Amino acid sequence: MAALSLPSGGYADDPLIVYSGRAERLIQPVLDAFQVESGITTQMLTADSTALINRLQMEGSQTPADVLITNDAGTLERARELQLLRPAVIRDVENTIPIRFRAPDNSWIGLSGRIWVIVYNTTMVNPGDISSILDLAKPQWKGKIAIPSAGSVYLQSGVSVIRAVQGDEVATAFLRGLKNNAGSLVYGKNRQIVAAVARGEVAAGPVNHYYINRHLAKHPDAPIASLPTDQGKQGMGVVLNATGIGVTAHTKRLTQVQALIRFLISPKGQRVFADVNKEYPLNPNVTAAPELLPLQNIQVASVPLSRLAQLRDPTMTVIEEVGLR
Amino acid sequence: MLPLLYVVLSAITADPAVWRRLWTTRVPELLLNTLSLSLGVAIINLTLGVSLAWILTRYAFAGSRVWGWLLILPLSIPSYVLAYTYTYLLKHGGLLEQAWQTIAGPEAVFFSPFSFAGAVLVLALNTFPFVYLLARSAFRNFNVSFEEVARTTGANRVNTFFRVSLPLIRPSLIAGLFLAILYVASDFGAVSLLRFQTFTYAVYQQMTGRFDNTAAACLSLVLVACAFVFLFGERWFRQRSRFYQTTGRYRKPVPKPCGPLTTLLFTCYLLLVFGAAFGLPVLLLIQWTVTAASAGDISHQFFGYAWNSVSLSGLTATAAVLCGIPLAYLACRRRTWAGTFCVQGAYTGYVLPGPVAALAVLALVSQTLPQLYGTILVLLLAYLVHFLPAALQGMESTLQQLTPNLEEAARSLGARSLRTFFQVTLPLVRGGFLSAWILVFVQCMKELPASLLLRPVGFDTLAVRIWLEASEELYQLAAPPALLIVAITIPVVLLLMRKDQT
Repeated sequence: MAALSLPSGGYADDPLIVYSGRAERLIQPVLDAFQVESGITTQMLTADSTALINRLQMEGSQTPADVLITNDAGTLERARELQLLRPAVIRDVENTIPIRFRAPDNSWIGLSGRIWVIVYNTTMVNPGDISSILDLAKPQWKGKIAIPSAGSVYLQSGVSVIRAVQGDEVATAFLRGLKNNAGSLVYGKNRQIVAAVARGEVAAGPVNHYYINRHLAKHPDAPIASLPTDQGKQGMGVVLNATGIGVTAHTKRLTQVQALIRFLISPKGQRVFADVNKEYPLNPNVTAAPELLPLQNIQVASVPLSRLAQLRDPTMTVIEEVGLR
Repeated sequence: MLPLLYVVLSAITADPAVWRRLWTTRVPELLLNTLSLSLGVAIINLTLGVSLAWILTRYAFAGSRVWGWLLILPLSIPSYVLAYTYTYLLKHGGLLEQAWQTIAGPEAVFFSPFSFAGAVLVLALNTFPFVYLLARSAFRNFNVSFEEVARTTGANRVNTFFRVSLPLIRPSLIAGLFLAILYVASDFGAVSLLRFQTFTYAVYQQMTGRFDNTAAACLSLVLVACAFVFLFGERWFRQRSRFYQTTGRYRKPVPKPCGPLTTLLFTCYLLLVFGAAFGLPVLLLIQWTVTAASAGDISHQFFGYAWNSVSLSGLTATAAVLCGIPLAYLACRRRTWAGTFCVQGAYTGYVLPGPVAALAVLALVSQTLPQLYGTILVLLLAYLVHFLPAALQGMESTLQQLTPNLEEAARSLGARSLRTFFQVTLPLVRGGFLSAWILVFVQCMKELPASLLLRPVGFDTLAVRIWLEASEELYQLAAPPALLIVAITIPVVLLLMRKDQT
């Protein structure tokens, strides 16, 4: 097979190589749509975002990758700092994607947004009882919440934002409380937390918003609802993160990469993220799925996405010190 | 060996702060988890292995010979496949919980698969055949006179079993447990899907969750050190407990015929164990595969993944045998200092769990030939480091059985060494080398962590697909590749066991 030989470096009709840190079923539909539109095929390598960065670093100029897709803007910014990405001129990007969702030199561009909210069981929880994500650490929730595992990028970016806004002590106390309250109810996937809440196994848990909407799309009668926390004047706002795409420093197929990015930020591409994944499209001309709370009505934490990159490593240490699994 | 040195080096030169962080936050928990998991699995393995072996060697009943074979089959299921079927069976409101609730009332809950109990159950069901097989052959070659003496001096059946029979087969039990524990401690697939933190899993997590591999190297070092202690401990233990046949009076045990009630009881027990470890999971896989096939979810890519697995495993097995020939030859025929060093070096791969082997090869390649990274050669190298010992062990023992006199005869008749090797030695050891090839092939087909970390773009193997789909809980999509791996492994397991028995 061709794969058994050494990589031969970019020919125009070779597939575009996509390193992807997102679940395959969340990204394959939009890549398929791109192929139909442009005739350009893609080939994906799915792995953990951080592992992909390590891989790009090892491969250096030999890398076969043309683009890097991740579920965390902090990881992309980290890749940019490590000079694994290159600046790119992409038509329309400046007037399509707001500056806070991309690198100033367009070496990475945000594609879809997600907010970290609390999913709760409507028969078990009065939403008035929770105003902040920090409330989940209170002793009254012992045995009643499910939490993501320590490896979850969402947990990491959430904790990074809490550290940036409220300091390390608050973040550590929060994690201690979460750990005590959740006990063995630690899940690797947001989807499992939502399912556990829907079954009434636990009352609530922190998840990315779209897992709730995806569950409701399949099971419209599930007794669950989504609660954006930390709103109001005193609140720090919900944690917003973005998925995005970066142009690798050594790509030899810039034209195709530009075509892919233009497609992903175009209304057609953005609709897939909005309708299939239930994420927030970052192109302001594309509306989110009707069942979502409009992003304009939600107060978002003011920590810039690019800062997540610097906050990441110390956050991991904090999480490990608390001993979260 | 060289790759291992890189890991050791990068762990020793690591920033003391990294070590301090690991010692205070991770190491105690990981140590406790790995040890308690091994202990839990060992206890279940002993109970299952000894009782099954005892029933099947000491009693004759309808189907007892067939059961003897069936109980080997669990070895053909990769740990991650068993784990993912159990995440389905044991999930909240899953099949087992429903069954349990009809017995124990609607409020009864079953334990979660994502727990200590879940990990112990899955790994015990996956490894008990090791203990069973060794206990069985020990009970078969057992001299019943010892038991008879005990009985005539007044000991009852139970006493005789625990105070005479069991201690006498202790060396076999320890050897079986040793294999099982080594398997548990180096397992990545099951513990990663069940999210139970052991050393091996933690190494992988550090490699994929951190931007540098220092912490992974430190944890690897601790793990490898523990493995060495364990290896030497086992050797020491084995040397202390040896039993010899001192008189010529040897009587083989004669299986006792059973009545219908006992037969029924035994059959139920055997069915339960076999069903849990093999029958039920495989039935589930078949059902899911049928569902996936009828929904059109088996794409043409599936055959690509299968070809990737088969071609890479074939290449590695061939390379392992080719590398193994000179090493095994050195070990058996030329006992020099350098030779022993080479051979022992190759054996260190034994105590390297998959993620550590991957880390080691990664470190070596990045220091010497970075342009190789991301190619199939790196993955092949990692497989080789990992599985060469298994090949070597088989080849060495085959060569040892061949008396050097034959080669000397050929040499004295004027044949040069190369000609002697190809015309005399090779034809005689062909069978042993072939089974070494098959062994490596099967291990590679199942290999997961190194494939996940090192695969080139577009080179997903069957194992990688199973893991990716199973960790998203897409049971149907993970089933076809899982079933294929099991189907390829079954004949090999049976073949190797058959050789073992003759």
